[in-house]
Parts: sequence; structure tokens; C-alpha cells
Amino acid sequence: MAFCKIADVLYSAIPLRPLRDLLIRKHMEACPLCQARLASRAEARGLFVAPEEVGNAADLWGRISARAEQADETSGREPVQVGSGWRWAAAAAMAAVVAVSGFWLLRELERPGFDAAAAVPADRFQIDYINVGGAPAQTFVYQPQGSDTVFVWAQKTP
Amino acid sequence: MDEQELIQGCLGGSPASCRALVESYGNLVISVALNVVGNRQDAEDICQDTFLQVFRHLGRYDPARSFKTWLLTIVYRRSLDMIKKKRRFTEFSVRARFEPAVAGRGGNPHPVDPEPLPSALLKGLSPRERTALCLWANEGYTAKDIADVLACSASTARVYLFNARRKIKVLLENDHGLLQNS
Repeated sequence: MAFCKIADVLYSAIPLRPLRDLLIRKHMEACPLCQARLASRAEARGLFVAPEEVGNAADLWGRISARAEQADETSGREPVQVGSGWRWAAAAAMAAVVAVSGFWLLRELERPGFDAAAAVPADRFQIDYINVGGAPAQTFVYQPQGSDTVFVWAQKTP
Repeated sequence: MDEQELIQGCLGGSPASCRALVESYGNLVISVALNVVGNRQDAEDICQDTFLQVFRHLGRYDPARSFKTWLLTIVYRRSLDMIKKKRRFTEFSVRARFEPAVAGRGGNPHPVDPEPLPSALLKGLSPRERTALCLWANEGYTAKDIADVLACSASTARVYLFNARRKIKVLLENDHGLLQNS
């Protein structure tokens, strides 16, 4: 009996369901102790409602046929038609908006003011921000006098 | 009229055949649904849905298979849908109990607890185990037939059945012990 309980625990720890099912089934079929711990058909039957105990379901056919007719009427109804002209107009308007905004964006990007290199004067060093570990870092910039070299030190903000 | 004639009649749109089919299998469908969901009203709703689905998709039925098993497969799936729907409603009710804002949006302020199963002991089983045990005990189904209904392998169906029988045995013994002590 203790072995069966240990086996139960071990089987439940197996993540692969088919393998677990196979092991449980093999064990249950072979183990007389486990077989003795199974409810019989008669015991199980006592818990369930049998078809003959249901009684006459009042007018079951009447309710089913009424629902079937209702479903037929619903499915037979003509779907509401949305005018195809409106759909075409909406699609054309959407295409026009996309074309105009694309053209505008292209023009803006081609403007000299949009050139990133031109935006900052060549003799000026600029860093907007530095992130360390996903957060703005504490940044130190040092440029020795008369030198073109710039030292940047960034450390995580305490 | 035998079963195949009834089915042919239904496929031909004969109301008499449809009625005869409902009368032949109505009680079976209600009893299985009742044993799985545990509520008479829900079981009757499942029964109606099942027959509507049967009449709508009877063309898909393979005559080489058992009609009863095909029918019970639909009952089982409908019952699972009903259990899921009820569970969602219960979860919503529980939320509504603690969050008045949810109740204000149309939630039921007095949540309805799930109805008791035919036997309270069956609550200890999962819907799959309940179905497997019900088909085995009431209909005399084998693991292979149960597997067809549950859409799983025969080996898995046997495990559901073993687990259900084992749990029920323990619950019955505990129940008996409690009765004797009281």
C-alpha cells in the first residue's frame, strides 16, 4: 500500500502526460491492492441519474422545433447591405491620406535642417543622454584644453 | 423504424423522423448532461442545443460509427461549454461581490452558487472523469468508446476511469464512515 502511494506521488511528478498515463495504467492493471480500491460499476451507478430516471422532459420536441424554426428565420434573413459606394469612398479617402502624409514626411526628411550631422556644428561635441542598465547614467565629460580628444565617463546613478 | 432509417428521414427533412430521434435519445442526452453539469435546467438547455447541432450537422455523421457515441460526443462538448460559461459567470459574481464597480456594470449582486450535482460526491471528480465514469457505469461503455466521446486515447480514457473509480471509492468510504460516526 505504501508503495502504491509513493508510486502515485512519483507518477504525478512526471510532466509528460502520455508517459504518466501509461505508468499509472500499467500499475493499476497489475496491482491487486489498487484494483481492490476501485469503486464497482454498481457503486458508481448509484451516484448517477439513469436515462429512465429522467422522466418525460416536458415537450422537449416542441421546444427544439421552435428553436430550430427561430434559427432558420434568423439565418434566412437578408444581411444588412452596406452600400458598396461608401466602402469605395472610404478606401479612396484612406489611400489619399496615406499618400499625402507619406509625401510630406519624405519632403521633411530631405530638408537640410533634418540632417543630423548638419544639426550640430562640427566643432561642438554633444551627447543627449547616456543610459546604463536601462536608466539615465551619471555622466562626466572632460576635454583637455587645446586637445581634440574628449573623455566621457558614465556610471550608474546611485 | 430503425436508427439508420430515422437518420435518413432526418436528412430528408422529415419532422416525424426528427421527433422520433428526439424521443429515442432525449432522456439519454438529458441524463448524461445532468450527470456532467449537475443541474436539470442546464441539462435541458444542453439537450436542446445538442439536437439542434445534430440536425444541422447530421450530414457529417459517419454511418460506420455508432450514432449514440457521435451524439454523446456532442453532449459532452456542450456540457464542457456550459461548465466553462458557468465558471466565468461565477468568477464574475465573486469579483462583483468584492468590487461594487463591476456589479454596477450589470453584474448580479447576489451571485448564484453552482447547483449541486446529482450526488455531492461527484463534485470531487473533474468533468472528464465524471463523463468517463457515467458512460462506464450507466451505458456500459468500454475505454475505447469513452475515448471516442472524450476525444482522447483509450489509454488516457482508462486512466480517467481508474482515477474516477478510485476517488469515488475513497469518498464513498469516507461518507460511510461519517454516517456511522454520526
